[in-house]
Amino acid sequence: MTAEDSEAESQSLLDEAPCGLMRTAADGTILRINRTFYNWLGLEPAALIGRRRFQDLLTVGGRIFHQTHWAPLLQMQSSISEVKLELIHADGSTIPVVFNAMRRKDQCVVVHDLAAFVARDRDKYERELILSRKKLEALVAEADRLQSDAKDRALFAEQMIGIVSHDLRNPMSSIQMGTHLLVQSDPSPNQQRILTRIRRAADRATHLIADLLDFTQARVGKGLTVVAEDIDLHALMGETVDELRTVYPGRKLKHRGLGQGPCRADPNRLEQLIGNLVSNAVAYGAPEKDVTVTSSLSADSFVVAVHNEGSPIPESSQAGLFLPMARGTDTSSSGGRSVGLGLFIVSEIAKAHGGLARVQSSLEQGTTFSVVIPRG
Amino acid sequence: MVFAHGFGCDQNMWRLLAPAYSKRYRTVLFDLVGSGKSDLSAYDTVKYSTLQGYADDALEIVREFSQGPTIFVGHSVSAMIGVLANLQEPERFAAQIMVGPSPCYINDGDYVGGFTRRDIDSLLETLEGNYLGWSSNMAPAIMGAPDQPELSQELTNSFCRTDPEVAKQFARVTFLSDMRAQLTGLTTPTLIVQCNDDIIAPVTVGDYLHRQLPHSTLSVIHNVGHCPHLSSPGPVAAVLDAFLAKEGL
Repeated sequence: MTAEDSEAESQSLLDEAPCGLMRTAADGTILRINRTFYNWLGLEPAALIGRRRFQDLLTVGGRIFHQTHWAPLLQMQSSISEVKLELIHADGSTIPVVFNAMRRKDQCVVVHDLAAFVARDRDKYERELILSRKKLEALVAEADRLQSDAKDRALFAEQMIGIVSHDLRNPMSSIQMGTHLLVQSDPSPNQQRILTRIRRAADRATHLIADLLDFTQARVGKGLTVVAEDIDLHALMGETVDELRTVYPGRKLKHRGLGQGPCRADPNRLEQLIGNLVSNAVAYGAPEKDVTVTSSLSADSFVVAVHNEGSPIPESSQAGLFLPMARGTDTSSSGGRSVGLGLFIVSEIAKAHGGLARVQSSLEQGTTFSVVIPRG
Repeated sequence: MVFAHGFGCDQNMWRLLAPAYSKRYRTVLFDLVGSGKSDLSAYDTVKYSTLQGYADDALEIVREFSQGPTIFVGHSVSAMIGVLANLQEPERFAAQIMVGPSPCYINDGDYVGGFTRRDIDSLLETLEGNYLGWSSNMAPAIMGAPDQPELSQELTNSFCRTDPEVAKQFARVTFLSDMRAQLTGLTTPTLIVQCNDDIIAPVTVGDYLHRQLPHSTLSVIHNVGHCPHLSSPGPVAAVLDAFLAKEGL
C-alpha cells in the first residue's frame, strides 16, 4: 500500500466514521468537518469551513451554555465529554447531540477537536425523566399542602376546644351555685331528687370541662401547670379515696399506704390524677372486685397506683393508651364519663412532675396504672 | 481587591488573573453561594431569587476582609452584584472593575441586550436538557488533560459543577435581571472590560454602560468569548493596570 493509499484510507475512515468529527480554531472557527457531521447539519463543507464557528451551529441556549460552561471548562481542563447540546439543521429543526471535545496544540496553534453523537433516544429518555420528576414534585407539593392544611385545622380545633371549655366554666359554676342555694331552701322530696340529679350532672360536666382545658393547655400551650408543695401523701390519698367512695357508692374502693417520708407535689393534680384512674378502673374493671389505690414512698421516688381486676388491656393497644382520644374497646359499662382524655391528662400530670405514667395488664395480675415521680 | 466570578463556574476562573495582584493588594476570591465549593445548605431559594441576595453576601465579605477601600472585580453578572453592593455602602468601594458586564440581557425597545425572552427560555431548557450529564454529582467527565498536568484532579471535576436546580434559578435570576435603572446612582470610578466578540455581553451593551456611568472607562479588548480573564489574561491585566494607574490606586 502506498502512502497515498494510506492517506486516502484514513480520510475515508474519518469521513465515514459513525460519529461526527470536527476541528475548530480556538475561537470556534470550523477548520475541518467530516461527512457524517455535515450531513447531519444538511450543509456542504464549503458553507462551513472557515465561514462558520462551532457555536454558531447551536441553539441560543446552547450558545450561552457554550460561553458560560463549555469554553471555560475546555480552557481549564483541556477536555470535556458527554455534554449534550442541540444543533440547528439547515431546515431549522434541532438535533440533540452529545459532544466530547479536546483542546490541543497542533504545531503551536491551539485547536479544538470535537466528536459528536446524535442522542435522540437519550434526549427522549431525559425528557421523560424530567417529566416524571415534575409530576413527582407536583405530587409532593400537593401532599405538603394537604398536610399543612390538616395541621392548621387540627391546631384551630384544639384552640377552639380551649376557648369553648374556658367559656363554659362560668355558666357551669352558676348552675352549681344555683343548685346549692336551692338545696338549702327546703325543697320538696321530689325537687330534692331532681336537684341531686342536676348537681351530679353539673359535676360531671365540670370535670369534663376541666379535662378539656387541661388537654388544650398540654397540647397547644406549654404543658400543664403544677404548684408543688409539701404534702402528706398517704393522708391525701386516703381523703381522695373517701370522696371517690361517695361518687361510686356501689363499688369497693381500698387505699393502701406504704413507706414513710416527706413528699412534694401538687395536691390538686394528684387528686385529679387518682380521680381519672379510679374512674377508668370502675368503668373497665370487673364490677364485683375491689379497686385498690396504693400510695408508696421510697428513698428516691414516690408512686401512686390504681389496680383493678377484669379482662386485661391487649398488649397491642397499651402503647397508645396515653395518647389523647385513646380509649379501651370495651365500653359495655355505662359509668364512664371519658371522652378519651383521662389517661392523656394522667400522663401529662406525671410529666409536669418530672415523672412517668405506665400500665401493666394481664389476666392473672389484673390491670395497674401507676405514676412514678422521682423526688426532686 | 475582591474577585467575584460570574454565572457558570467558580472562583477558579480568576486563576490566570488574580495572582498578579496579590503582591500589591490583599486579594479575596470567593464562590457565590450555590456555585463551586460554597456551602449548598446556605442556598436559600428566597434570598437568591434576586441579585440583591448575592449583593448582601458580597458586602458582607467586603466588610469582613477589607481594611481599606475595596476594588471590586466582577465578571458578568457579578459586575451588577458589585453595583448593588456599591449603592448600599459607597464609602467602602474605591473602584468597580466590570469584566463582560451587562445590565440587561434582554432586548427592550431601543436597548439591545442581545437576547429575547425566548432565547433565555432556551438556555433554561438547555440546562434542564443536560439532565444526565449535569445531574447532582456528575460533573462533565474529562478525558484527561495531557497539556496541563498541573491541573489537580480535584479542580478538574468540580469547578463548573452546579446543582442543577441552583443552576436553573441562578440562570433565571441572572438573565432576567434588569439593572438599568440602578446604574445612574453609581459614582465610583468604573472600568468596563469589553470583548470585541462576546455574544453574552455584546459591544453595544458596553457602549450603553459607558454612556450611563458618569465615571467610567471603556476598554475594548480583542477576545472571542465571554471569559477574557481565562482566554486573554494578558490584555485584561494590561487595561486593568492602566485604569488603576489612572485612578491612582
